[in-house]
Amino acid sequence: MNSYLIVASIIFSIGTLGVIIRKNLIVVFMSLELMFNSANLGFVAVSNHLHLISGDIFVIFVIVVAAAEAAIALGIAITFYREKGTIDIDKANELKN
Amino acid sequence: MEALFYIFSFIAIFSALMVITMRNPMTSALYLILCFFAFAGFYVILDMQFLAAMQILVYAGAIMVLIVLVIMLLNISKIKDMKPYLHQKIIGVLISLILFIEIIFYIFHGAQKKPIGIFTHALIKKIGNTQVIGEFLFTEYVLPFEIASILLFVAIIGAYLFAKKKF
Repeated sequence: MNSYLIVASIIFSIGTLGVIIRKNLIVVFMSLELMFNSANLGFVAVSNHLHLISGDIFVIFVIVVAAAEAAIALGIAITFYREKGTIDIDKANELKN
Repeated sequence: MEALFYIFSFIAIFSALMVITMRNPMTSALYLILCFFAFAGFYVILDMQFLAAMQILVYAGAIMVLIVLVIMLLNISKIKDMKPYLHQKIIGVLISLILFIEIIFYIFHGAQKKPIGIFTHALIKKIGNTQVIGEFLFTEYVLPFEIASILLFVAIIGAYLFAKKKF
């Protein structure tokens, strides 16, 4: 189980790094998806180790939430691009223009 | 199994690194699809073939199609000439390194529990993993299941409202 958790933590850290250092809104969103996935891998590995099934059920709900979040976030990205003409997250510094 | 695990973890970590370092967002999206396939491989090794199929259908299928479509919709040649990285690169590396060390510390120093459930590999293989998940989803977890359907409905309305021309 430990090796799976180590891989999951490495990918979670890479996702955090991507969220912090990247400027492109779409790439930040993709790093977020990486973090979701590493959390899923942790759930599956632990529930496989403990002989439970709850972690696997939880992964399905995480996937549902990720799909809903993808729809909303990309809608926000399109609106942002229409307002500003760019998807640089440094330009996202006001609520209304 | 061991060899497969190392191959999949190498693919996953390599493609995750490529996702955050590539300049072109389309290249990052394609590497992210590769990363999702590696995760599906992990789920197959861990005896959850149903989750692997869900991963490929929902993540590598639906969500990545959405992302690729949005990248194509936003004019990529105009976006490319902006600087890809923020200036706080060192701070970012430091923060994620600290996070990684913390997680590793808790993995190795936390209390390792003994198996407490009844769903061993042999039992899951005997019943079939899709049936196990389905039984749990429609008996014990039926309320979260319904709430998830409401959440998806709200997401449809929200996406429509955001992508509309004017509020």
